[in-house]
Amino acid sequence: MSDEARHSSDGEPPAPRRRRWSAQLKVGAALTAAILIASLLAPWIAPHPWDTISMRTRFLAPNATYWLGTDDYGRDVLSRMLMGGRLSIAMGVSATLVSLALGVPMGLAAGYFRGWIDEALMRFADVLMAIPAIMLGLLVLAVTPPALWKTALAIGFVYTPLIARITRSVTLSLANEEFIQAARARSESNAYILFREILPNAWPPLLVEASLRVTYAILLGAALSFLGLGAQPPSSDWGLMIAEARSFLDRAPWIALAPGLAMCLLVIGVNLLGDGARERLDPRIKAGVGKS
Amino acid sequence: MLEISDLTVRYRTPVGEIEALTSIDVRAERGRTLALVGESGSGKSTVALAAMGLLPSESVVASGRIVFDGQELGALDEGARRKLRGSRLGLVFQDPFSVLNPSLTIGEQVGEGLVHHRGFTQAQAQARAVELLDEVGIVNPAAIAKAYPHELSGGMRQRALIAGALAPEPAVLILDEPTTALDVTIEAQILDLLEALRARRGLAMLFISHNLAVVHRIADEVAVLYAGQIVEQGRTRDVLTRPMHPYARGLLAAIPRFDDRRRRLAAIPGRLPDLRAPPAGCRFLARCPFAAPGCEAPQSLRSLDARAVRCVRANELRDTHWPRPQDPEQARGARNDAAAVVSIERLTKTFTLGRGWRFSGWRPRKEEIVLRPVDDVSLDIRPGEVVGLVGESGSGKTTLGRTILRLIEADCGEIRINGEVVSQRPQRNLEAMRRAAQIVFQNPDSSLNPRKTVGALLARPIERFGMAPRAEVPARVRALLERVRLPAHYANRYAHQMSGGEKQRVGIARALATEPRFIVCDEPVSALDVSVQAAIVNLLADLRDDLGVAFLFISHDISVVAHFADRIAVMNRGKLVELGEADQIMRAPRHPYTIKLLSAVPRLPAA
Repeated sequence: MSDEARHSSDGEPPAPRRRRWSAQLKVGAALTAAILIASLLAPWIAPHPWDTISMRTRFLAPNATYWLGTDDYGRDVLSRMLMGGRLSIAMGVSATLVSLALGVPMGLAAGYFRGWIDEALMRFADVLMAIPAIMLGLLVLAVTPPALWKTALAIGFVYTPLIARITRSVTLSLANEEFIQAARARSESNAYILFREILPNAWPPLLVEASLRVTYAILLGAALSFLGLGAQPPSSDWGLMIAEARSFLDRAPWIALAPGLAMCLLVIGVNLLGDGARERLDPRIKAGVGKS
Repeated sequence: MLEISDLTVRYRTPVGEIEALTSIDVRAERGRTLALVGESGSGKSTVALAAMGLLPSESVVASGRIVFDGQELGALDEGARRKLRGSRLGLVFQDPFSVLNPSLTIGEQVGEGLVHHRGFTQAQAQARAVELLDEVGIVNPAAIAKAYPHELSGGMRQRALIAGALAPEPAVLILDEPTTALDVTIEAQILDLLEALRARRGLAMLFISHNLAVVHRIADEVAVLYAGQIVEQGRTRDVLTRPMHPYARGLLAAIPRFDDRRRRLAAIPGRLPDLRAPPAGCRFLARCPFAAPGCEAPQSLRSLDARAVRCVRANELRDTHWPRPQDPEQARGARNDAAAVVSIERLTKTFTLGRGWRFSGWRPRKEEIVLRPVDDVSLDIRPGEVVGLVGESGSGKTTLGRTILRLIEADCGEIRINGEVVSQRPQRNLEAMRRAAQIVFQNPDSSLNPRKTVGALLARPIERFGMAPRAEVPARVRALLERVRLPAHYANRYAHQMSGGEKQRVGIARALATEPRFIVCDEPVSALDVSVQAAIVNLLADLRDDLGVAFLFISHDISVVAHFADRIAVMNRGKLVELGEADQIMRAPRHPYTIKLLSAVPRLPAA
């Protein structure tokens, strides 16, 4: 016996050759990385101070000194866009983190325990989902002074049910896998099964969803800022920039165009990145062909 | 009738182009059945797909001619080719559960092709469908034609699919593992049906299967495929009783036989060659115990003893045998005197599926629809004993195994493990029992967490139960890998980096990590090829002999159970209908259900 079984490990499976990145993934990653890096490094790479008011340089069209022109206070649009990106992206990321922190445990519990826990959590999620984000934002921000972190919290809250639903559906299919039964046959605690057995297998689809959520959160945050419920002047996030530029659309369209375009590029980039990443993150797809 | 010659097919995959078939020649002749046999990766299904023109888009036909009734398919235009295939070739797939459209009636699906290709009206097609359903042995065909797929059992669906394949009056029927998803008693009926159809309609059949016993029963001629090549082809009787090619010999030696129990099985070491760059010489060379200089040269099929063999040494090897593994020195003494390690009494489990209205007399009453997969079962298992649990799908085998381990909660009955009553304890109080009783699962792809290394998988139970101080855990993991005969560096691998057999070894090692006295093996070899199955069964037998572990060995494959088990328990619809010594059950079964089950199992002649 020992002899022939020792051979069972002969002939290694061909080393999983790393697959090339798809064009979609490359474009997505490049766009996203460019905007993220530019925003993060804004204080150092911005060509002009973002908040210096100068009446002499009002409404300048894009030119060699001010690449994207200037706004109604004579501030450099490019610098403001970069600084605004910092705020918008930080807001989007923290909103998503809030929704992950709340939604993932909800979804795991609902999908694994089923029964009344599932019912209770998912009906609660339905109620949350029925509240329009803007309404919730207005509710929170109308009674207290507006601040960007409150916007992030409100948006995170609104996206919690979406994250919970996705986590739940992934958990439902994983809960039937035999390795979960094996963990139960070792009397593992529910927490161990949820966070050590199921969660590591659930994160690829979650990561993709979360990256898309960041962009939606940025859009929604911009909408709230546009309504005056997010960033407060003189600080600039993209939504606020567009709101401020609204009155000058006919005279100086570049003021609104710049942050709008930045937002579009980021959303497109992250969506491409998310779709491309989904395929690569599944360990089973990467497997080689040498099955016996 | 159908002649495929010099067929070479490649698949483009993310890791490179692999050669699935290399220069295959097969002929299906009127009134005869040709079987293509081989293990996974042999390319047998690709032959069927190529003949039907159903190859997936990532495939490339590098060479080959498919000639049907003197017409070469490649020379016809697309429309004519499709028409010929649609009307003269019939195809039956393996899985009767996913092929039928759930939202169309059986009659519509059987007659579908007649409406499209033959210009039948709906009514004519329906009438013809009823006749065809009658021909394939469906009772009350008119009613079944109006039924939907979910209302039919697996066997009935497979009959309906065969009826559908027969609708265009084909001359050739291609069957790809047509009975693999079915229970043995149903399999026997389907094989009888195919036999009758072939005789009545003079069909040429191309029968693709991994199951040599089934092939022995139905085929006139067999072609054995290995790594995309035919390695031996000849009359079924010749090839399956006196195989000449080393691979064919190994394959036959690996199959457990009813009449050769309690010995170690012969396994085929190694694995398929890398088909991205197939070896120029004999493709079986790396696994062949008879390899010699000269085998590196390209091998061609040459005729020998009324068959074709792709082995240069076939003639000089004709009197040698595939090497048998050594059996353990002394036969294991029966341990009948020891106290039972597992003892269950009157165990019952019911599932309530829902409620429905029933009429009792004139009054409608609401009744629960209840399924009882474990119904009043009592069973003792002694230390070092293997109890085989056989039964058809839905008989409750898996539920019984999991109920004993408290992975499913029983309704009533008592479970004793290691002398302790564990049936009443709360789940959090089962530590001792969980250490003593473990489980090995069927599906190696699902039983290992894909995000963990083998080392982490094996270390967890050791840490969980405090089996060893932290510093000693890596040594324990190495010992476990050694125990299941995997090299130590496998500790760094993930599930997807291993073959099916290797994954199953890891699953066994994980169960052994707690040093259990009892292991439930739930169909542990059903997902594996026979050559790998043999090695895994041998491993389990070693564990029983060396460690004295008791097994509940659940399987639908009676020959494996008969080979490995000391006693056999037969389950039917949740009830244990017969329990006895394996020899006695195999030789003289008493319960009518056991008799029916055993007589349905296809057998190979003694080697």
